[in-house]
Formats: sequence, C-alpha cells, structure tokens
Amino acid sequence: MEKLLEIRSLSVDFRTPRGRVRALREVSMVVPKGKIIGVVGESGSGKSTLIWTIMRLLAVNGTVENGEILFDGGNVLEFDDNRLKGFRGEKVSMVFQDPMTSQSPVLDYRSQFTDILYRRTEMSRRERLGKAIKMMNRVGIPDSEKRIYQYPHHFSGGMRQRAGIAMALLMDPSLLIADEPTTALDVTMEAQIIHLIREARSEFGSTVMLVSHNLGLIAELCDEIVVMYAGEIVEHADAHDIFFDAKHPYTKALIACNPALDLEMEGQFPTIPGDVPDLHQSPAGCVFAPRCAFSDETCSKERPAYSISAGKHSEVVDHSVRCHLYCPDKGGKTKHDLTALSLNAAADRTRSEIAHCDEADELLSIQDLRVRFPTMGRIKALAEGVDDPFIDAVYEVSLGLRAGETLGLVGESGSGKTTLGRAIIGLNGVHSGSIKFKGSELVGLSQNQYRKVRRDVAMMFQDPVGSLSPRRTVGQLLTEPFLIHGIEKGSQRDQAARLCEMVSLPANFLSRYPHELSGGQARRVGVARALALNPALIVADEPTAGLDVSVQGEILNLMLDMQAAHGLGFLLISHNLPVIRHVCDKLAIMYLGRIVEYGDCEQVFRNPAHPYSQALVRGTPQPDPTRRRQLVSIEGEVPSLSNRPGGCEFHTRCPYSGERCKYLVPEPSLLADGRTVRCHNPLAE
Amino acid sequence: MLLYIVKRIGLSALIIFFAVLTLFALLNSIPGDPASIALGPRATPEVQAAYAEKMHLDKPIVIRFLIFAGNVVRGDLGSDVFTNRSVSHTLLEQLPYTLTLAAAALAWATLLGIPIGCLSAIRPNSWLDRLTGVISIGTIAIPSFLVSIWSILVFAIFLGWLPVIGAGDDGDIVDQLRHLILPAFAVGLGWVGYLARMVRASMLEVLGENYVRSARAFGLMNRTVVFRYALRVAILPTITLIGIGFGVLLSGTVFAEIIFSRPGLGKIIYDMVLARNFPVVQGAVLVTVALYVCVTLIADITVSLLDPRVRENL
Repeated sequence: MEKLLEIRSLSVDFRTPRGRVRALREVSMVVPKGKIIGVVGESGSGKSTLIWTIMRLLAVNGTVENGEILFDGGNVLEFDDNRLKGFRGEKVSMVFQDPMTSQSPVLDYRSQFTDILYRRTEMSRRERLGKAIKMMNRVGIPDSEKRIYQYPHHFSGGMRQRAGIAMALLMDPSLLIADEPTTALDVTMEAQIIHLIREARSEFGSTVMLVSHNLGLIAELCDEIVVMYAGEIVEHADAHDIFFDAKHPYTKALIACNPALDLEMEGQFPTIPGDVPDLHQSPAGCVFAPRCAFSDETCSKERPAYSISAGKHSEVVDHSVRCHLYCPDKGGKTKHDLTALSLNAAADRTRSEIAHCDEADELLSIQDLRVRFPTMGRIKALAEGVDDPFIDAVYEVSLGLRAGETLGLVGESGSGKTTLGRAIIGLNGVHSGSIKFKGSELVGLSQNQYRKVRRDVAMMFQDPVGSLSPRRTVGQLLTEPFLIHGIEKGSQRDQAARLCEMVSLPANFLSRYPHELSGGQARRVGVARALALNPALIVADEPTAGLDVSVQGEILNLMLDMQAAHGLGFLLISHNLPVIRHVCDKLAIMYLGRIVEYGDCEQVFRNPAHPYSQALVRGTPQPDPTRRRQLVSIEGEVPSLSNRPGGCEFHTRCPYSGERCKYLVPEPSLLADGRTVRCHNPLAE
Repeated sequence: MLLYIVKRIGLSALIIFFAVLTLFALLNSIPGDPASIALGPRATPEVQAAYAEKMHLDKPIVIRFLIFAGNVVRGDLGSDVFTNRSVSHTLLEQLPYTLTLAAAALAWATLLGIPIGCLSAIRPNSWLDRLTGVISIGTIAIPSFLVSIWSILVFAIFLGWLPVIGAGDDGDIVDQLRHLILPAFAVGLGWVGYLARMVRASMLEVLGENYVRSARAFGLMNRTVVFRYALRVAILPTITLIGIGFGVLLSGTVFAEIIFSRPGLGKIIYDMVLARNFPVVQGAVLVTVALYVCVTLIADITVSLLDPRVRENL
C-alpha cells in the first residue's frame, strides 16, 4: 500500500478568551494512494480542524503544537511559500460544503476557473478557457460553452456543487479533500454528486479524503473510515469493519443513532447521553469515558492506547481502536457483551399506542389549499404584459391529521413544505381552499382572531438559536407565550420551572441566554415554548436539522413522549427520511407545491407508488457499505416554480413518463391500501 | 447591463424632475410679492410690473411651473437680477472650479483611504492598524473649515510654500494646481479616515468569507485573493457611500471656497444668498442637485459593473 499523505501525532490548539482549546490531540493516520478515506465525526470532533491544518489554512488563533504531516517526502507544516504554492490547489484540492458561499459571487465561472489555472504559464488564455469548458462538461454541466460565462447565483445548488468539483479537479490533484460535499444538497442531488465523486476517482485516479457526519454518505463511498471524537481518532478500519464489526463504544453508538431507512424500529430513538467534553484541558483518561456505557475507573484515569488487530473484512487495512476494552494487557474486559449494547432503556413506544385515536375527530383538515406568492410588483407586471405574476408555492393540497397522530411532510427544497406549515399557523396568506382546525375554519381569520388559534396550534421553528431572541433569558423565553396570550397561570417562575423540567433542562438554565446553549439545548427550549400553552397541534419545521445524530434522538424522543402524554398532533416537516419513517404515522410527499403521494407511512416506504417517492426513498444513502448503488435514481433537478412544467409536474425527471404525462395533469387516485397518488401510472396498485 | 443603465438613468431623470418641482414650490411659497422679493425693496412699481410680466407672474401656477420646467430643460435658468446675465452662463463658468476641487479632494482621499483600510484589514490589530485607526478617527472628527484655517496658517503663512487666495491664473496649469492643493487637502482629509474605516470594516468581513478561504485553498496568489476576490466585494459599499457622501463633500467645498476665496458654486451660492439674487441661487441649487444625482448614478453603475447581482435586480 502506497502512502500518499501521512499524519503523525498531530496536535492543534486554539487560543480563545477562555483559554486554550486542545482541538486535536495526537492524531495519526495514513491516507493510502488511490483510495477514498472517510473521516466521520460529530460537531466538535476536530474533523474540520484536521483538514484545514493539512491545507495550512488554520484560523489565526490556531497553532500546531506538535506533529508532522508528510507529503511527497516533506513535512507540509514546514513548507516555505514556494513549496506551499505547489502543494495547495496543485497537489491537494478541495470540494467545499456550501457551494453558494464558497464561490465568489462577483466573478463568473470563466474567471474563477482560469484563475486556478494561473500556474499553467505555458497555456494561452484560450487553452485555459478550453480546459475549463472541458472540465465543466466532464462533471455534467450541460451547455458549458455558454454557462461558463455565468455567475454562481445563476446555477442551482446541484449545478454549483458540480462546478465546485470541476474547479477542484482542474489542476489534476493527487489528493482531493471533500468537506461535507453534499450537506447543503437535496437527496436526489446528493445521489448525483456521490456518483460524480466515484467517477472522478476511477477516471482521474485521485485519492479522496471525505469528511462528513453523514454515515450514509461515508458508507456509500469510502474504502477506509476514520472515526473522530473530541479531537482524537478513536477507531480506524476498513469500511466494512467499521459498519459490521465496530469495536469502540462510540462508533457503535454512532451507528445505532443513524438508523438505516429500511430498518424496522420499535420503541425509542437511540441517543448518546451527555455532551462532547470541554476541551480546555486534556482529558485525563479516555475522551469518551463520561458518556460511555462501559466505562470504569481505569477509563477515566488512564489514556487508552491504540490496539491494532488484523481487519476482518480487509487484508490490507488493520483495525485500530483506542479503547481500554481491547487493550491486550487488560484481557478480561473484552468479555463484556458489546453486541447487546443497550443505548437507552426508556419505556417503549409502540405503534399500536397511536392507533388508539382512530375514533377521534380530525384535528386538522386541509382542503384544496393554494398559497400564491407574487413574483413581481403589479406595475412591473402590467408594464411587461405578464397577466399572472404569481407562483403557486402550495397547489391544491388536501391533508388530514387526527389527535395523537404524526403526519410527515417530505420534499426537496422548493417543494413548498415550509410554506404549507406557515400557512397553517397563519403566517402566510392563503389564496384559496380551507384549513379547518377542530372543525372551525382558519382561512380568512384576521390576525387578531388567529392569535386565539395559536394557543392551540404551536410552531417549532427550523433554526433553533435564530428563532430565539438573543436578548432574553431562557426563563423569559419560556414565559413569553403566557404574556402574549395574557394568561396568568400561577407564578411565571413556576411555569418556567415546570416547562424546564418537562423538557429535562436543569433549572439553572433559566437565567442563561440562547448563545450559551448547545444546539440540542436550544431545540429543547423550542419544544418547551411550543408546549407552554398545552397546544393540540404542533407544526415542527425540520426539528432535528443541523443537530448531531447523538442529540437528534433526544429531541425526537422528547416529542414522542409529549405526544403520548398529551395526545398531541404533530405535523413534522423534514427532508430526513429515516427520521420520518421512524416517527410518523402518515406521510405526504410534496413536489412543486403538490402532494404527489399521501398515505400510511410504512406503506409509502415499503412500496412507494409515485416515481418521485421511489426516487426519494432509493436516493437516501444507506449506512451499509454492502449496498452501494450503481446508478443514480433520477436525473436533473427540481424545476423552478415560476416555470412549472405542464401536465404532470414530475414528467421532466420521471423515468417512467409517457406521452400522456406531458400534457395531462394526473388527478389524485385512491389505492387499495388507502393511499392517494397523483400519477398516471402508479408503481403500486 | 444596458437595460440596467437605461432604467437607472430614467430614475435619475425622475428625481431631478421632483427636485425642480420642489424648488419651484419653495420659491412660490416665500411670503410676499415675488417681484419685490426678487428685485429688492428699492425697485419702482414700473420695474416690478415689468418683471412680473417677464416672469409670467400673472399666469396660473400650473402654467408657471410648466414654463419654468420647460426653461430648465432648455438650459435657461433665468437671468441675474443685477447684471441681467444668463444664470446658466455664470454657473457654467463657476462649475469647473467646484468640480475640480471636489474631484481632487475625493481622488486623494480615495487613493489614500482605500489602501490604508486594506492594509489594516489584512493585518488586524497590528501596530499599523492601531496607528491608522487613531489617525482616521482624528481626521473624521476635525471639521474641514478648521483644517482649512490651520493649513493656511502652516503651509501658507509660516512655511510660505503654497498660495492661499483664489484659484490661480487662467491658462497657467501649474499655478492652478498649486492653488488647488490646500483646499483639496482640507476638503478631503476627513474622507481619508472615513474611507479607511469603512474599507477596513467591510474588508475584514469579506476576508472571513468562505469564498476567500476557498480561493486560498485553490492555491491562488495572496495578491489575487486580496484584490480580486476580497477587495472587489469589500469596495462595493464604499462606492455607494462615496456616491451618497458626495452631497456632504459639496457642502465641504462651500467652506473651502469661502475660506480660500476660490470661485465656484459654493462661493456663488453664499454670495448670492447674501445679495438676495434669487435666480442665481435657484440655478446654483438646481445644478448642485443635478451634480449630486449624476454622481450617485455613476456610483450605482460602477457597483453594478462590479457586482452582477445588482444589475439583475432592478
């Protein structure tokens, strides 16, 4: 095995006003040539610090305390400016997380591409342009002779990321570092990008270092996997060994928290209790000990050494793990039965429990709802002769939700799911249709009348920290709903304390401000605020987006417990299909503002009837390296709402579309199992 | 791009139209008989009647506005009450002096302020950054008329290096330039600090953007990253600010023109207000407004040339 890059006991510190943060400690790894190596970890694991150290682009307050990074017979950390110039961008290149913010908004692609080629002094301007166009073609950007003169904001998210990959491949680097390359993209786009990275590897023979928190993506692409936790590598092995023979308790827990889409799961979501440790001091023992189910005294006192054994699934890659359980000199301990790792022993929640509400009346009933947004001012529309300057963000949507039920709303960005959620709580105007809550009509209510409704219908917002006022304490935030609705219910302080306890936040959090909370804690405050007035219905917009998987389960469990205790109805808006599958009873799939499939959640996942549902279900990467997909499920991207395709909206991307789909809008049809599908040729009967 | 410029020019024309309307309304709302105001208290009734006739004071207000606006469009801003010279003629004589002064002040302020801002943003909290920070705040705080007086004291009186009064002899470029230095220094000084702080702030923000970091990760030269990727974006709010701040700059030239006895729009407005020579004041104000609108237009077009998102969003 040829080494391309080797990191030897690298330690990096950050100077902060609160002291030194030991962000990386003794990280050692080898990047083998021609392989895809995955670096997995949650936020705070140091994976970004690692790649920026390799690129020598650490923030100014970061210093390398120790270690070396060997590349091409030299230590990258000691490269002079000249050598660095030949390294960065030439030998090693990067694909970035968010293509919108990582490409210059004021330079067209031609400039950005040819700027990268500045080192090729032997090439003329025309040759550079030609090479850029060829590379854009190569990554599947159609019409690149013309599109190269466009700017990033002219490109859709998926196309922008393709351009980003083209930029990275332009200098034919020997190592490609991809930093969360699909996190900002939708499922169908993600599948296409995965395909592209795989192709790039086989065609250009690049070595890829893929950094992500998404186990599905890692399983789909990587040969080897490095698991990082709190600034250390805890396990390093072949991909199959990690997924089927994980040794470190953290790796096991991480995999358990990231359920596969098709895994039947009863009961609560697994979580890892506790928080990532404070890295202001070097931990005395194992970094994971405080959260580990198997830790004992040795674990919290002594640093474990790496124990290295031959990999089960690979002859080349050894399996190394940093855990006392596997230290040869501490025999005995391995007899722990790690397979029966029970992560959370809380009460079970079964699906039958939810079914008890069948007799109840509909809590929410939406009929033919239409929400339109103007695309231009009236004067401009008049001047430009546009008679209908509107787009339909929500188009003829009908849904129903009973008390105690959870309805999932799924779709790619731009499908109108957030708009629908906002329309229900009266934050968007409604063009036509009806929204009935407990039998009374909501459409047409004045803002004043709506205020009374909002006592019973609460919203959990997408951005947990951003939706909390930064100048109010948690206590003030929790009692705000009572003030708004003028309710005197015992003392405010007692109320806040009660809510805090309900979502299991310590009572001393009442005096904290939102910026002092972690993502999971801020979500808890969001849940508590939504629950404050004992609502009957909660609209939750991406309640776990941006959360680490180990915390995601906590929030979902909390929501489910509240549902069981109070018979709440949930409308759960999300693009995270595994979460939806494990939490929802009913599922509605949206595409361009329309519901294309609606019915029992399990049925939709087992046997999707609409081609788009099928694409979403198949497009989600599985945390299982044996089930890599060879083909991309659907091509193309979501059309713009202002350019709605005629006939069936999905026909432009549908692999099964026929002549009829192009001009005839399919009506919703009822399947035998009670699902409704908007498709001329449904895939299920 | 062309469409953007056309639209933007259309908007500017609309603004000037409203300026003309406002000016007309203001002049018509001055209490008393316009003829006696315009001609002063010592005019005889015959002269006043003749003036009223000439200025169409007997006609309805709408007609008077149309005549006024029509004259403005044709470049006829009326005539000087005392000398009977064409106002536009007088103003055209004065305009170049003000323009040169404003342009010179702005030029040296930009050429110094923007690099200072850039340098301090590239090395934040360095000694250079701290030093320029203190000096910048100082120059912003000192009013330009004080700078004028002090610079006269130092450079003209004690050192005797530069002339003080007037704008220099016609045709003698060197002499004119020598006369330009002190007023341009006085008017521009505050702007150096202002621009430096402004550029520093936006540059610091842009240098932290992801695309700057990606440009570095692609191995681009530091020079390319700083100027092409960062400054090009960081400069945009500064250009808009210069456009808007040009109005303030023009009022700065009024002081400078008075103190240095330079001819120019500011000087003429000042003199003619004191002399109650309203047609000239009115014309000068109108020209100033037009100048201001033009500069804002240029600033907006420059921004749209640098930023594609702006030109697509009007």
